[in-house]
Amino acid sequence: MNFFRKYNRTKNLHRPPISSQNQQKTPLPTFISKSVSENISMVHTHFTLAPDLIVKKMVIQQTGSHAALVYMSGLANQMVINDYVLTSLLFKEETKNKSEDLKVLLGHQQEATTWFEIENAIFQGNSVLFVENHTNVFIFNTPGYPQRQVGDSQLEPSLRGSHEGFVETGSQNIAMIRRHLPNLDLKIKEATVGKRGKTKISILYLADVANPEVLQVLEKRIQELDVDMILNTGVLGELIEDNPYSPLPQFIITERPDFAALQISLGRIVTVVDDSPSVLIGPASFTSFFQNIDDYGSRWMVASFIRLLRYVAFFIAVFLPSIYIAVISLHIEVIPLKLLLSIGESRDRVPFPPLLEAFFMEITLEVLRESGLRLPAPIGQSIGIVGGIVIGQAAVEAGIVSNIMVIIVALTAIASFIIPNYDMGSALRIIRFPMMVVASIFGFVGITIGFMIFIGHFIALESLGTPYGSPLAPIRFSEWKDVFIRFPQRTLVNRPFSTRATQLRRAKNNPSKGDKH
Amino acid sequence: MNTYIKNEITLMQFILVIHGLQVGVGVLELPRKLAETAGTDGWISIILGWILTTIASLIIIQVMKKNPHGSILELVTQNFGKLIGKLVTILFALYFAALSVIILIRESLFIQKWLLPQTAFPVLLLLLIIPSYLIVQHNIRVLARYSEFIFYISLWIFIVYLIPTKEAHLLNLLPVLKDGMKPILQAVHSTLLSFIGFEAAFFLYPFLRQKQAAALGIVVANTLSMLLFLIVTIAAFSFFSPDEITQFKEPVINMFKVIEFQFIERLEIIFLTYYIFVISTTALPLLFLTVFCTSKLTGRQDRHSRHLIWFFSALFIYVLMSSPTFQQNSQWQGKIANLSIFVAYLLPLFLWMFLWVKHLFQRRELH
Repeated sequence: MNFFRKYNRTKNLHRPPISSQNQQKTPLPTFISKSVSENISMVHTHFTLAPDLIVKKMVIQQTGSHAALVYMSGLANQMVINDYVLTSLLFKEETKNKSEDLKVLLGHQQEATTWFEIENAIFQGNSVLFVENHTNVFIFNTPGYPQRQVGDSQLEPSLRGSHEGFVETGSQNIAMIRRHLPNLDLKIKEATVGKRGKTKISILYLADVANPEVLQVLEKRIQELDVDMILNTGVLGELIEDNPYSPLPQFIITERPDFAALQISLGRIVTVVDDSPSVLIGPASFTSFFQNIDDYGSRWMVASFIRLLRYVAFFIAVFLPSIYIAVISLHIEVIPLKLLLSIGESRDRVPFPPLLEAFFMEITLEVLRESGLRLPAPIGQSIGIVGGIVIGQAAVEAGIVSNIMVIIVALTAIASFIIPNYDMGSALRIIRFPMMVVASIFGFVGITIGFMIFIGHFIALESLGTPYGSPLAPIRFSEWKDVFIRFPQRTLVNRPFSTRATQLRRAKNNPSKGDKH
Repeated sequence: MNTYIKNEITLMQFILVIHGLQVGVGVLELPRKLAETAGTDGWISIILGWILTTIASLIIIQVMKKNPHGSILELVTQNFGKLIGKLVTILFALYFAALSVIILIRESLFIQKWLLPQTAFPVLLLLLIIPSYLIVQHNIRVLARYSEFIFYISLWIFIVYLIPTKEAHLLNLLPVLKDGMKPILQAVHSTLLSFIGFEAAFFLYPFLRQKQAAALGIVVANTLSMLLFLIVTIAAFSFFSPDEITQFKEPVINMFKVIEFQFIERLEIIFLTYYIFVISTTALPLLFLTVFCTSKLTGRQDRHSRHLIWFFSALFIYVLMSSPTFQQNSQWQGKIANLSIFVAYLLPLFLWMFLWVKHLFQRRELH
């Protein structure tokens, strides 16, 4: 026991003095008291070791009563406080106003009575005014925490889409979506998640379009979360997805407000996480990861061509190395003689089995990709040159890998980069490796079995309770107008089935019976 | 009852599950079997078999209409009592289990014969078991979507199959009816076996959303399969000479051997690998029906995956102990063939007659 006590004491050295700790443990009263000085001492005992807390005592000129303004120096905008709050309170002469209503040059002003609200308000960058003989406080909206400028999206650049991307402030992100969809039916439900992080999460949807069942599933999953904090959208997505053991992403994560607004108008639900520069879109289907905002901005033939390229790229990214390995190691008879000769010539000096050769190249490539990502942009590019050209060329000349293998690995890498969604592209890169292993052992049969497992998985998978494979499985040919090929805009009159929207036709008011708005 | 409503399948899925059940390993050998018994007139037997099948399947739908919210198991339990109901459930479970075992083993034998002659048989079986387990453990909906999806992505096989017919001679089919009707009627037996699979309607009917279209659906499914059998058979008959065709065990695969592209040779290897998908639409519904029956038996609807694991372990252990061969497999197939004919063609008739008679008596009692 003695040992433990000693341990505790040493641990406490790093903590604030015991006295203040004890005081903090006394439970806070729910409501504030009438006396300002009592309230201020309560604030001081409550916010210990918070040097950025500013408490300014004063006498209000409008009413002549004692008061105190409390805010966090880093979170609140001091200019706004000085110019609009303090100026009005301190220098405005007494008016014939007896209604005890304070006149402040600020639009956004609330009142609160509980300590809980006060604490939240201070942490959100608001300033709180305690007034003598008042059982409520005034909360002025004076946020001034650091914010990033709205800029182009880094991860999803586009040619024709808008050049603004989401930033780290939830309210701004919501505003950007609202600018695309100024509609009374755009509803926002808010929730606070995280015992410590208290992350504000907003769910945006069109009340007369989004399926209420899907919305309910999403809300329930968010409410049931029991975590410390939500770091960003990816964390939230992983916490609420249907099958965490699936390699496939089950929510679309985007940085683009126009894409998010488009998805809302199609009947999907967007979840905005405060402090995160991307939003979560669900329910997602497999094919929705192959769509991009530029598909709608450019003319339909070009868009369709690029979209078809993406699906071809999907097959290349997943199957090309495994097919090559299968052919070389087990089904050499499939290749015509001329081609066989050139492959044989290239593989002549390579002492390794095709699988090892492929793994060596693939892993080199993945390492290069990741290291290029972690370095600052100017150096990152040179890494690509060093890796791609120097290592590839040298490896071929040294006889470690064959020329054809380098071509195949490079093709595969390019193909996986064409997938517009980063998560889907990464998922395909992961799926490729087990495919290569089964292909080297069982040849084409292994690839078929691997593909069968993939198909079975993606057919059974659901995103927020809606089928992930739609419109491929369950098959819906009428929806294929916007899957492999994008038909002209005039023909795209229906919303996708996979969103389970309650109004099937776009731009028409035709609520179905299931609409419980 | 609730399980049926929650897992509705569409009419198209109903059609394609039945069609998938009918088209499997058998198609590869069908032209040879027909040629052996009926010569080049074998294609007529397909049409005769189709007529019989359509009649039988319409009777099945008529029977199932009497109890639209349950499968045949509930129907039997209601009419003959619980004990016989259990017995029928066991028999159906054994029947479907036997069929799926035969197909899984035959599929692995095919893979071993054509694609991976060096790989050990149990390993190949294990390869087939893994995806089967992953898909069948879910509900009928996933399975129906799977069958539907595979049907559409397999259509290319059919187009490629027609490439060799540019060297075909329709003269090979003549003269029609050269040996009279008798051999044609004898060959109907093997065509009936090809159509086996539509008896799954006994179990699929309650899941169907548009029940009023069930009769249409099953007829479409049979017709689709019939057209496929017919085209495959006629193509093979006109491609090979009448004497040549019986020399190949699987003439359909041998037809693919002729095709050669600039970038690919030995297309039959690609075809056979891909055919695993087509065979899987036969094997997976059968496996599902097996565990559907067994979980009905234990009264727990959510135990599909557990029963599947038991089933697959037993099968795997059996295969480890013995080494199955094509001959043994064909023997088994021959043994179960008569049972299949009974279940698919005679059982519906008996049930229908029984229900009709019962209905008559009930009406008399009322008056």
